[in-house]
Amino acid sequence: MTGTAGLERGYRRWLRWYPRTFRREHEAEVLGVLLAGAREGQRRPDPVECLDLLRGALSMRLRPRVARAERAAVTAVRLMYLGAVVELAAAVTILATIGSVRAGMFQRNPGYPQAQWHAVVAGRLAPTAVAAGIAVAFWLWMAWANGRGHRWARILFALFFGVNAFGLGNGLAAGSAVYARADLAVGTVLCLVHLAAMALLFDQDIRRVAGHRSSAG
Amino acid sequence: MTKRTMQEATFLILTALAAGSQHGYGIVADVARISGGRVRLRAGTLYSALDRLRLDGLVRVDREEVVEGRLRRYYQLTAEGATQLATEAARFQANAATALARLGLAEGMAT
Repeated sequence: MTGTAGLERGYRRWLRWYPRTFRREHEAEVLGVLLAGAREGQRRPDPVECLDLLRGALSMRLRPRVARAERAAVTAVRLMYLGAVVELAAAVTILATIGSVRAGMFQRNPGYPQAQWHAVVAGRLAPTAVAAGIAVAFWLWMAWANGRGHRWARILFALFFGVNAFGLGNGLAAGSAVYARADLAVGTVLCLVHLAAMALLFDQDIRRVAGHRSSAG
Repeated sequence: MTKRTMQEATFLILTALAAGSQHGYGIVADVARISGGRVRLRAGTLYSALDRLRLDGLVRVDREEVVEGRLRRYYQLTAEGATQLATEAARFQANAATALARLGLAEGMAT
């Protein structure tokens, strides 16, 4: 009996990784299955069982809670993950190429002051890399929240698009000559990914409005 | 656009439910039986799959009962679940028939 109690306690500990809503509804049931499948005399969960529970918990916490039939919403969430990947690639590229940019700059202009280079790194490159890192986290957060169907997440994502588009437009208006070509390309790709994800996210609302209009007309 | 193929665990869970509603451990035991002991579903995998199948409308909760102080929830196939399982089974059957025919074993299958 003590062995079974210990085993049950062990399973309960691993089940804590699951979302609270899932535990509330299914913990007793999953526990029943785990105990029914336990070997005679088993005192603690097997490592394979623990890994399986951990994997199940992570999958339940991270994967979108959107039915596969809702293709538009599923694709929108995937595009958000793509946005995170593009931002991450941009951040990694900035960090990985600082050295070669510096070398190239000093080769072309040997008299370039060190202090000015430090100012460029501190004033432009470092903030851009940090901003890209924050943007990665934001894209991932939006993918997670929209994957769970939170309405506020859709609105926040739309506002985020406004900020993104404004940033791109502002940069272009400030003078495309100072706007690096690669930077412009990344900004444009992100804006297009954002726009496509937003269109898919609001797909049903757009169709509903279009339907109302056509039926009214 | 091609439809995503069903994972083996999902296919076997739906097959286990095709004969009637079953509770979690019943599904685990049935899947082991159907697969000849090759597939042993673990609780994490089973409930992850059931959660996804419920979300997709392929499976629903039939009833609950308490046996020896433990909750048992029975799951059953929905009409959509039955349709998708039939489609997938037909696809497997067609692929298997082609493979066997090309290996010259098609007659063996018929007998």
